[in-house]
Amino acid sequence: MSAILLRDIQIYARQSAIQLRHYYVGVEHLFLALLQIQGGIAATTFEAQGIKTQQLVEAVRKRMGKPAAQRLWVGVPDTPRTEIVLDIARDVALDGDLKEVTERELLYAILTERDNLPARVMSKMGVDLDKLAQIVLNHETMNEALPPDIAIIQSAEFNSGQPLHREQQFMLRRMFPDHSAIRVERRLTGFSSALVLVVTPIRPEGGEDAPIVVKIDHTDSILDEYNRYQTYVKAALPLQTARLEDPPTTPDGTPLAGIKYTLVSQGVDGIPQDLRNRVSELGAAGLSRLIREQLYSEFNRTWWQQKRAFTFPVWKEYDWLLPPMLTLDYIPPDQPTPNVHLIRNPVNRAKLKLKLRELRPGDYVALENFVVQRVNMEADVVRLAAGTGSEAEKRAYKLDLRGVDHSGMNFSRGYAIERVIGQVVKTRDDLLTESLEQLEPDFSPRARWIPLDMLQIPNPLVHYGELLDRTVNGSFSRIHGDLHLGNIVIGPKEQPWLIDFSATRDGHTLFDWATLEVSLLGDVIMPQVGNTWQNARQVLVYLAAMTAQMPVTGMKTDVFIGMSAISSLREIVNECLTDPGDLMEYQIALGMCALRAITFPGMSLGGRRLMFLLSGLMLMELNQRASIQETLPADMTEVFQIPVSIPAEGAEAEPLPASPPPVDDGVIYLPPPRLPLSGDADSGTGEIPPGGR
Amino acid sequence: MSLRLDVTIMSGVDDGLRLTYSAENGDGAQEDGCWKVSIGRREDSDMCLRNDTFVSRQHAYLIWEDGRWWLQDCDSTNGSFLETDDVDAKVKGTIPIDFGALFRIGHTWMRIDVTG
Repeated sequence: MSAILLRDIQIYARQSAIQLRHYYVGVEHLFLALLQIQGGIAATTFEAQGIKTQQLVEAVRKRMGKPAAQRLWVGVPDTPRTEIVLDIARDVALDGDLKEVTERELLYAILTERDNLPARVMSKMGVDLDKLAQIVLNHETMNEALPPDIAIIQSAEFNSGQPLHREQQFMLRRMFPDHSAIRVERRLTGFSSALVLVVTPIRPEGGEDAPIVVKIDHTDSILDEYNRYQTYVKAALPLQTARLEDPPTTPDGTPLAGIKYTLVSQGVDGIPQDLRNRVSELGAAGLSRLIREQLYSEFNRTWWQQKRAFTFPVWKEYDWLLPPMLTLDYIPPDQPTPNVHLIRNPVNRAKLKLKLRELRPGDYVALENFVVQRVNMEADVVRLAAGTGSEAEKRAYKLDLRGVDHSGMNFSRGYAIERVIGQVVKTRDDLLTESLEQLEPDFSPRARWIPLDMLQIPNPLVHYGELLDRTVNGSFSRIHGDLHLGNIVIGPKEQPWLIDFSATRDGHTLFDWATLEVSLLGDVIMPQVGNTWQNARQVLVYLAAMTAQMPVTGMKTDVFIGMSAISSLREIVNECLTDPGDLMEYQIALGMCALRAITFPGMSLGGRRLMFLLSGLMLMELNQRASIQETLPADMTEVFQIPVSIPAEGAEAEPLPASPPPVDDGVIYLPPPRLPLSGDADSGTGEIPPGGR
Repeated sequence: MSLRLDVTIMSGVDDGLRLTYSAENGDGAQEDGCWKVSIGRREDSDMCLRNDTFVSRQHAYLIWEDGRWWLQDCDSTNGSFLETDDVDAKVKGTIPIDFGALFRIGHTWMRIDVTG
């Protein structure tokens, strides 16, 4: 273990300040963050001096201020004393020719600035601060201990894929210092930047531990996830599931960090696999049972069932899903910028919408008080948003700033940027249109209505703004935040466990289920059906039929498996609705999640095409409440009464009947039917009976 | 000798902030040979602690009298306290206060520094 950088410590400190509702970063928050680093300089130095870190933490916590009853200032500022301490730390780093402040200089500064709370507490405990400061200063930044000699064995299955690069191997060795070898069993896919592996650790005497899932990603993402786990997940897990038992591994000399999801279970047979790859093996009944009777019923009590009524504007929960409002090229402060448009955070939505409408590529925009959400050094993009953290509202109004000069301003994650100027490259609409164009639409991408047989559905690219401005009578609960099939891992004894808590938060209860429906449709059903627009339209008809409780026959087995899982999922949705029987809340969630998915590079072409149409269908179903008579013919009851079949691969699709799907009268949205969960799965066809059970 | 008061905030969002008052600049009020510096949430307090909701509008006075500092609590809602090794001691009426001793107004800890 060697030095951790100040900016990583600041992330911890800031998060704990927010958790404690202090809303400022004091020296005490930094100090506690230092002590949190397992095997860090602070913990080792204190232990070596016979000071129990736990005792120290408790003493400091006891003396810390109570939470503020109200927040009376903006943001999460550093206190004046924090500034003093950081100045001392920077001076020491400069003296030592270090480019950045690390835990060592920070700890030294805390020990020498004696007026801060931790120093006062230590003095009271009889700690000799001067002596300790000298010990810390002499604690040479430890040379990287040689990576332990741990063999990395690759299983036959893993060997066939992309090999691990050197840095990833280094991380793996670091994560299993007590083992003599690790066998990499398989790679789990569906993660943007993270490497997620199933590995079996092997002990020096040759015994094998139970396989576990490891995730390797950028340090700040991993630290953020760990924090989220501590806040939202740790106390809310069923008995048998994956846990983050160890703190993250964050070695020096690499921007990467790693965490282990350890399975707590009695059985140790079998290599865990994600749900996406188990669908056909499980079958319709198995998949439905797994989602409804295992995943939902086991996690529900502490997760979604904890919901509380919450009325919110759609944008607060869903704006962040869409591409950045603007993509800008960074303009240095000294460059003249005529006619600058100002966008100031917190944002006035009405004004912002007008502003965005008039902005054209090449225009200059000054951004004020936006916060750095993410820094992607490889792509040279800094993502700004309304606030910091994974809460949806904080991630709203995101903007991408390209080509930032990092030597001037501090563009670290979590920092508020007082003012920065950029030149418009692209708008959100440009990016959405580009995504749609990649799907080679057989209609105009900017048309207001999209033809769907005789029916027309609204073009979500034109109408999504209306959706964002709606208000939802919904609920908030603890949610996973990214419940796609790749994040549901089937472990020993066929238990589902959840991994990847990087977006776990308090959010819209139905968000998880909309995410899972998008994943089932895009990752399971569409790859079975095909990639054409006609294929996507057919599946859309199934979905409309499901909502309208109309029978659909002639589905292929594979499609049936997926559709019956969606039927089970919709039953869960019904239980989670705030207004029983009123699907509006879910249609909004699904419409937004589907629109987001048209930009997913990992989703099949057919999947993304379906997502575009699904988003339009949700808009239509929402609009039907208001204007059904105006937009649609009166009699539309025929389409679902005839069997719809999916053609065999390569065959021409059977034309859909030339009449639009039925709609209800704008009042009744009954729960969707339960599909037959057994028996029919292997017969090659499934049927959604009218009227449910 | 000119009357001067240096106070450092020792907790909360303003931890580390140093406040200086002097009678010459018109801070505080002089009466009967003593100098009173008011502490409270009111904007016209000499020491306005607007970031602490546990501070009363007129919370306390720091008084220079007989060659030393005194702390007077004005029957504040959440009280004034002196730091001790165990439970903080609530200030009743007017008590003497030493340079360097920590005391708490509402939730805000502070300290009188030796004027230098």
